[in-house]
Amino acid sequence: MQPPPSPDVTSPAKTPLFHSSTQYKNWRFSTEQLRVTRTALNEAAIAAIRNTFESDSPGSSSDVHFLDAHEELLLVKLYITKISQLCGHFRFPEEVEATGITYLKRFYLKNTVMDWHPKNVMLTALFLATKTTNHPISLESYTSNIPRTRPSDVLDLEFLVAQSLAFEFAVWHAHRALWGLWLDIQELSQAPPHEELERVYDTALQHIRTSRLTDVELIYPPSQIALACLTLAHPEIAASWARSKNAEAALEAIESIKRTITRDGDIPSVDVVREIDRRLKICKNPEKVVGSKAYLAKKAKEDSESELKRMRKADNVRKAVEQGDPFGEELAREANLDDDD
Amino acid sequence: MDAVERANADRQKKWVKDQKVGEGTYAVVYRGRELATGRKIAIKKIKVGQFKDGLDMSAVREVKYLRELHHPNVIELLDVFSSKTNLNLVLEFLDTDLEMIIKDRSLVFLPADIKSWMAMMFRGLEFCHRNFILHRDLKPNNLLIASDGQLKIADFGLARDAADPGYKMTCQVITRWYRPPELLFGCRYYSTAVDIWSVGCIFAELMLRTPYLPGESDMDQLKTIFRALGTPTEEEWPGHTKLPDYVSIGQFPRTPLRDLFTAATADTLNLLSKCIVYEPRKRISAKDALNHPYFFALPYPTHPSKLPKTIAQTTAAASRPLDEVDGNVDLNSGAGPGATAAGTAPPKKLKRKLSGHDTSRNIARKLDFTAA
Ligand SMILES: Nc1ncnc2c1ncn2[C@@H]1O[C@H](COP(=O)(O)OP(=O)(O)OP(=O)(O)O)[C@@H](O)[C@H]1O
Ligand SMILES: [Mg+2]
Repeated sequence: MQPPPSPDVTSPAKTPLFHSSTQYKNWRFSTEQLRVTRTALNEAAIAAIRNTFESDSPGSSSDVHFLDAHEELLLVKLYITKISQLCGHFRFPEEVEATGITYLKRFYLKNTVMDWHPKNVMLTALFLATKTTNHPISLESYTSNIPRTRPSDVLDLEFLVAQSLAFEFAVWHAHRALWGLWLDIQELSQAPPHEELERVYDTALQHIRTSRLTDVELIYPPSQIALACLTLAHPEIAASWARSKNAEAALEAIESIKRTITRDGDIPSVDVVREIDRRLKICKNPEKVVGSKAYLAKKAKEDSESELKRMRKADNVRKAVEQGDPFGEELAREANLDDDD
Repeated sequence: MDAVERANADRQKKWVKDQKVGEGTYAVVYRGRELATGRKIAIKKIKVGQFKDGLDMSAVREVKYLRELHHPNVIELLDVFSSKTNLNLVLEFLDTDLEMIIKDRSLVFLPADIKSWMAMMFRGLEFCHRNFILHRDLKPNNLLIASDGQLKIADFGLARDAADPGYKMTCQVITRWYRPPELLFGCRYYSTAVDIWSVGCIFAELMLRTPYLPGESDMDQLKTIFRALGTPTEEEWPGHTKLPDYVSIGQFPRTPLRDLFTAATADTLNLLSKCIVYEPRKRISAKDALNHPYFFALPYPTHPSKLPKTIAQTTAAASRPLDEVDGNVDLNSGAGPGATAAGTAPPKKLKRKLSGHDTSRNIARKLDFTAA
C-alpha cells in the first residue's frame, strides 16, 4: 500500500526543488574536496602572514608555530557549540541555530581562522541567520546580551560573512527532512505506539544536532542525513520506512554518514582548543588586527589607491568640461550621483 | 586581497552601470549592461551602511529568494556583488510594469491580453508557492514586463517561507488594496491563499482599468470589500468573527460580479470569484487556477510579444543606439540637418512614440551642436 503523500523533503514532489537550490549546486563537496580546499586555504594564509611578519622585521616568522588545517577545524568546531549555547540563551528556534552553524562552516571554506577569528564570525553568522530565517532581533538587544560584545563586532563582519556565503542564504536542513520522515513513519502499517515513535524522533533529532558538528551537511543531502539519524535512533523503523518507499538502496548510501557522525560528532576537548587559541594569538594575520602596524599600513595603501582613482575620475570630468565635450556636464552629474563607489 | 574580495572584484567587473532609472524605498536602480555581451541589465544598489541593524531585512529577503528562484515569470537575479558599503543586485532589465500599462489610457486590452497576463502571473506564483514561498506584496507595480512581453513577479522584499501550520506570522503585509480580509482581521496563521486574493484583485483591475477595492484606510478596506462582495456569513467563512481584530462592519448585500463586469465571460467570472473567496482554505490554488477552464476556452491568450505596450517600452526597444533609429531625422527636421539618415519617412508608429521622449531629443540636439 502506498503511504499518503506528505509535504516532506524526501518525497519525490519536493526533491527536484532541492536539486535546483544553491545548496545543491554550490555547497556540496566530496570529503577529498573539503580536505584540499582547507589545506590550500591554510597554506596560502601561512605564506601571506609569514610574508607580512618578514617585511615588518626579517627573521621574525621563523619561530612562529602556525595552525594547520586540522587545528583550524577544531577551533571552528568549538564555536559551533557556542552557537548552540547562544541559541539556548536567546531561545532561538532550531532553524536559526542550524542556519547559523551552516553559515559558520561555509565561511571557513572561503576564509581561515588566522585571518578572521571564529568568535566574531560566529556571532555574525548567527545574527545574519536570525534575519535570513525571518526571526530578526535588534542588534542592540543581541549584543547587549552577550558578554564583551559590541554592535560593531557584528556590523564590521556582516558584509564579509554575507559575501563569503556568496549571498546564498537559503539552507536546506536535515531536521526539516526528519520532520518529513516523522510524518511518514506515523503512517506505516506496523508503526509502534505513538510514545515510542516520539522517543525515536527525539533521539534521531539528537543525532541530527550531533551531525552539525561534522562535515556531513557539506557532503550529503539533508534527506539522507535525516534517514541516517533515524537509522541511528531505530534501525527497524528506518528500514520499514525505506521498504514503504521502495528505497532500500538509500539505506546503503547512508552508512558513511552514520560512520562520520559517530566518529566526528564529539565536542573538542577544551584543553586542546585552548592551546590552539593561544597559538592563534601569535600567528594571526596582523593585517586583520584593527589598529596594528600592519593593518594601518595596508589601509593607508588602499586609501591612497582609491583616492588616486577618485582624483583621476574628477580630472577626467574637469578636462571634458573644459574642452566643451557635450557629455562633460552629464558626466559630471553622473560622477556626483555615484560618489560612493 | 582575500580570495573572497578577489572573487567579488571579478564579479563586479562583469557589469557596467550606466544611468539611474528609478528609486525605491531602500534602493536606487540603474540601467547597465553586461560587459562581455552588451546585454541590458538593471543594477539595484542597496545602501548597507545606513542601517543600525546591519543588512536590511528587505534586502536579505530579496536576495535569499531570488538566488533560489529561476523561472520565466519570476525576475532573474543574475549576480550579486558589493562595492564599498553597497550591495548591488544585478537583475534582468525590465522595461515597464503592469501598473503603467493599466494606467496608459491609449492602450486597449482585449480579453485575450488579460488572459495572457493572468496565465503568466499564475505560472510565476505557482512556482513560488511550489517552493513554499509566499510573496506577500503582489500588486500591478510589482509585476514587471520584459521587452518580449513576459510578465515577471518582482520585489521579494516582503516574501517569506510558507510556515508550518500553527506558526504565527505578521499580518502587516500586502499593500492595502490587495490585502485579503483575513489579514485585515489580524489573522496570524495564513497561507499561500493571501497571494491568490491579491491576484484576484489584479485580475479585476485588468478588466476595470482602475483598482477594484481601493479602501482609504484599513477599516475602510474591509468596508470596501464587503460593499463589493457582501458581508461574509458564518457559513461562508466559518470562524472569521473569532479572528483577533474582528469588528462588525455592517451588513452589505452580495451583488453579483456580473453587475460590475458586464462584458466578462462566465469562465472569467468563475475564476475571479474563486480567487476572492472569503474562506482562505476554499480559495483556489495557483496550480488549480492554471487548470481552470478559463485558460482553455476561447479566446486563447495573446502571445506575450503581441501584448499592448506602453510608449516607454516601445521606445526603449527601438531607440538606442541613436543611429539605429531611422525615425530620428524627422524629429529634428526643424532644428537643422542633424543626424541625417535615409530620406524615407519614418513609420508613423515610431514617430508617435519618439515624440514626447525627451532624453533622446536632448541627446540629438547635443550631437547637432558639436557637428556645427
Ligand atoms: N529590473 C528592473 N529593470 C528596470 N527597471 C527597474 C527594475 N527594477 C526596478 N526598476 C525601476 O526602479 C524603480 C525602483 O524599484 P524598486 O523595486 O527598488 O522600488 P519600487 O518597487 O518602486 O518601490 P518600493 O521599494 O517601495 O517597493 C522601479 O519603480 C522601476 O522604475
Ligand atoms: Mg515595488
